[in-house]
Amino acid sequence: MAGNTLYIEKDSSLHRLHPLTKLSVTLFCLICAFTLPDLLWLLAVYLVILLPPAALGGLLRPFLKSCVTVMTPFVISLTLIQGFFTGGETILLEVGRFAFTAEGALAGLTAAARILLALGGALLLMLSTRPDRLMLAFTQRGLPNSLAYIVLTALQIFPSFQKRAQVILEAQQARGLETKVGVVGRMRLLLPLTGPLVLSSIVDVEARAMALEARAFSRPGRKTSLQVLYDSRGQRIMRFGLIVLSLGLIAARMWLIFYD
Amino acid sequence: MNGFRKEFTTFSIVLMAVAIAINIGAGQIPRMVGLPLYLDSIGTVLVGVLVGPWAGALTGFLANVVWTLTGLYPQAIAWAGVAAIIGALAGVFGQSGWFKQWWKAGLGGLITGVIAAILSAPIAAYVFGGVTGSAGTDAIVAAFRASGYDALFSNVAQGTMSDPLDKMITFLVVWAVLLILPARLKARFSGK
Amino acid sequence: MIELRNFSYRYPNQTRPALAGIQLKIPKGQFCGVVGANGAGKSTLCYALSGFVPHFYRGDVSGILRIGGREIAQTTLGILAGEIGLVFQDPFNQISGARFSVREEVAFGLENLGLARRKIETRVSEVLGLMRLAAIADRSPFELSGGQQQRVAIASILAMQPKVLVLDEPTSQLDPHGTAEVFEALDEITRDRETTVVIVEHKLEWLAEFADRVVVLDAGRVVMDGPARKVLADDGLKKLGIGRTQYSEAAASAQKKRLFRRSGILPITLKQARAFFK
Repeated sequence: MAGNTLYIEKDSSLHRLHPLTKLSVTLFCLICAFTLPDLLWLLAVYLVILLPPAALGGLLRPFLKSCVTVMTPFVISLTLIQGFFTGGETILLEVGRFAFTAEGALAGLTAAARILLALGGALLLMLSTRPDRLMLAFTQRGLPNSLAYIVLTALQIFPSFQKRAQVILEAQQARGLETKVGVVGRMRLLLPLTGPLVLSSIVDVEARAMALEARAFSRPGRKTSLQVLYDSRGQRIMRFGLIVLSLGLIAARMWLIFYD
Repeated sequence: MNGFRKEFTTFSIVLMAVAIAINIGAGQIPRMVGLPLYLDSIGTVLVGVLVGPWAGALTGFLANVVWTLTGLYPQAIAWAGVAAIIGALAGVFGQSGWFKQWWKAGLGGLITGVIAAILSAPIAAYVFGGVTGSAGTDAIVAAFRASGYDALFSNVAQGTMSDPLDKMITFLVVWAVLLILPARLKARFSGK
Repeated sequence: MIELRNFSYRYPNQTRPALAGIQLKIPKGQFCGVVGANGAGKSTLCYALSGFVPHFYRGDVSGILRIGGREIAQTTLGILAGEIGLVFQDPFNQISGARFSVREEVAFGLENLGLARRKIETRVSEVLGLMRLAAIADRSPFELSGGQQQRVAIASILAMQPKVLVLDEPTSQLDPHGTAEVFEALDEITRDRETTVVIVEHKLEWLAEFADRVVVLDAGRVVMDGPARKVLADDGLKKLGIGRTQYSEAAASAQKKRLFRRSGILPITLKQARAFFK
C-alpha cells in the first residue's frame, strides 16, 4: 500500500492524529527553521518536537534514516563551502590561500540545521500520514477534488511510467540504438526514448478521462467521503496554539530584522 | 480569466496527472543515457503548450508536491514556485506560437532556463545556505566562491550553466513530440 | 428502455460514419449481446449508449438516441454517469488512481454522486461480495493482477447501480475463471429485470449462456438482431467475420455429414448440444 511514497503503515497514536495537526507541526518546524537564531535552538526543537512523536509512532528508525540520507550531502557541502568561504577568525585549516574557519564551519552547520529542521518536519509528516488522508483533509476544507486527484493519481501511476521508459530503452536498443556514443549522439537519443513515452501517455489520457467520467467525476454538486478523519478538540487547540506560536516567531524575527 | 476556466476540463486534469508521471518517468532517461541533464519538466512544458499557462503553472507546482511526497527528493517542494513559472512560461510561449518553429522553441527554452536559474538562486542561497546538495553542482558553486563571488552570485552562475541548456532541450523535445502527435489527439486540445 | 432511431455517428476527421442508421429498441432488464468484426462499430455503439458520443468525442450525430425516455444528446456526462455505466477493456486505465485501496476505489463513484456514507458502505460491501473482492478489499488496486483490476473496475461501476450497464469487451483480458465470475455477476444483477445490460463480446459461448438477445453489427449497421439462440447459430456469422459457438459448429458439421437426421435450431450451449445430440 502506497509503496511509492514515504508512508509507513502502522497503528499508532501518531498515525491516528488528524493530518492537519501533523501538518501544523511540520509548518511550525519550517518557521522555526528560519526564525530561530542559532544552532542550539534549532537542534533543541528538532530533538524535542520531532523525535518523541517519531518514537511514539514507531517510526524512529526510518525517520532518522531518512534524515541522514537527505542531510548528509548538505552537511558535507555546507560545512566545506561555508567553512572555507564564509569569513571567520579562528582558522582551523589552511589549504592554499583558503582558510577553513571555525566560524565558517559553525555557519555551515547552522544552515544545515535549518534544513534538517524544515525537512525533518516534512519527513515525519510523510512517514506518518497516508497521502490520500492528507488530501482528504484539504478537500474537506475546500481544496478542489481535481487537485487532490492530480496529486494522488500521479503518485500512484508514476512507477509504471518509469517501467515504460525502461521498456522503451530496451526495445530501442534491440532495434540497434547505440547508446555508447558521444555527447551529440546521446542528445539525439533523447527523442526516440521520450517520444514514444509521451505519445503512449497521451493516448492513455483519453482512456483515463473517460473512465473518470464514467465515475461521475465531472458531476457538479457536493461530494461525500467514505473515509473519516478523526479530529478532537485537543488537536484543534494544539493547532491553534502552534499557529499563534509560529506567528509570534515570525513577528519576533521581523522585529529583530527591522530594529537591529 | 476566461482562459482559466477553459483550461480545466476532465481531459486536461487527467493530462496534468499523467504529465507529472511523465516528469518522473522521463526524468530518468538522461541518466539512463548518461547525459548530465534533468528533463524533469517535460510533462509540465507539454501541459503548458497543449492546454495553457494556468494549467502549465499548476502542473509545475503540483509536480514538485508529488515529487516531495514520493520521498525521492524531499526538498523538491522548495522549488514548486519556480516549477510553476516554468509551466506558465511554456504556456505563454505556446500561445504566442513559439512552438511552431524549432529554433523559436529552443530559444524559448533558453529564456525560460535563464529565468528559472535567476529565480532558483535566492532559494538556494537563503534557504539552503548556498548549496545544492549534489556533489557535482556544489563543486561548481565552490569554484565560484573560491573566485571571490558571494553565495547568491555563485548560485546564479551555477544555475545558468545548466538550467538554460536543460530547458532548451526540454522545449525542443516537446516541439518534436508535437510534430509527431497524431491529428486526432491534437484536435482534443483545440476543440476543448 | 433504450431506443435508437435512425441513429448515425461520424467521428471528427473521418469520412465514413462509424454508425449508420441504427434502429434498435432494447427493453428494460434485457441482457443484450453485441457482436461484430473489428471496426464494425461495436465500441462506438457503447460510447453512444453512455453519452461519450457526442459529449466526449464530438463529431456528427444524427437520429434519435433515448435512454429511459431521456435524450442523450441533451444531457451532460456528469449526470449520465449515475444512470448509465460503462466498463472498458483495459483494466489499468479504469483504476482511477485517486484511491489507495480496492474498497475506496469502488466507493469513488459513489462519493462523486454525493451519497451518504452509510449508503456507500452498504453498497460497497454488497458489490465487493458480488464480485468476490472482499478478500482483497484493503489492498492497493495497483498491486493486483489485470483480471483482479478488471473486477474492481466492474465493481466500481456496479456500485453506482446504473439503470443501463454497457460493457465493451470486459473479459478480453481475463482468464476463464475471471470471465465466469463476470458473467455470473452480470446474470445475478439482471435477474430482477431492473438493470439492462448491453455487452460487446467475442466469447460467443458465454453470450450463448447468458444473453437473451444478440445484435450483430457490420460496418456500422445492424445486420442481424434476434434471440441469442437464433442469431448465434446462424451460419451467416462466418461471412461477417464472426464465428459461431463450437456447439453450433459441431452440430452443423454433423448435420452436413449426415451423421444426424436431426434438423431444427442448432444448439449454442453445452446443455442444448447434449439435448441435440441425444
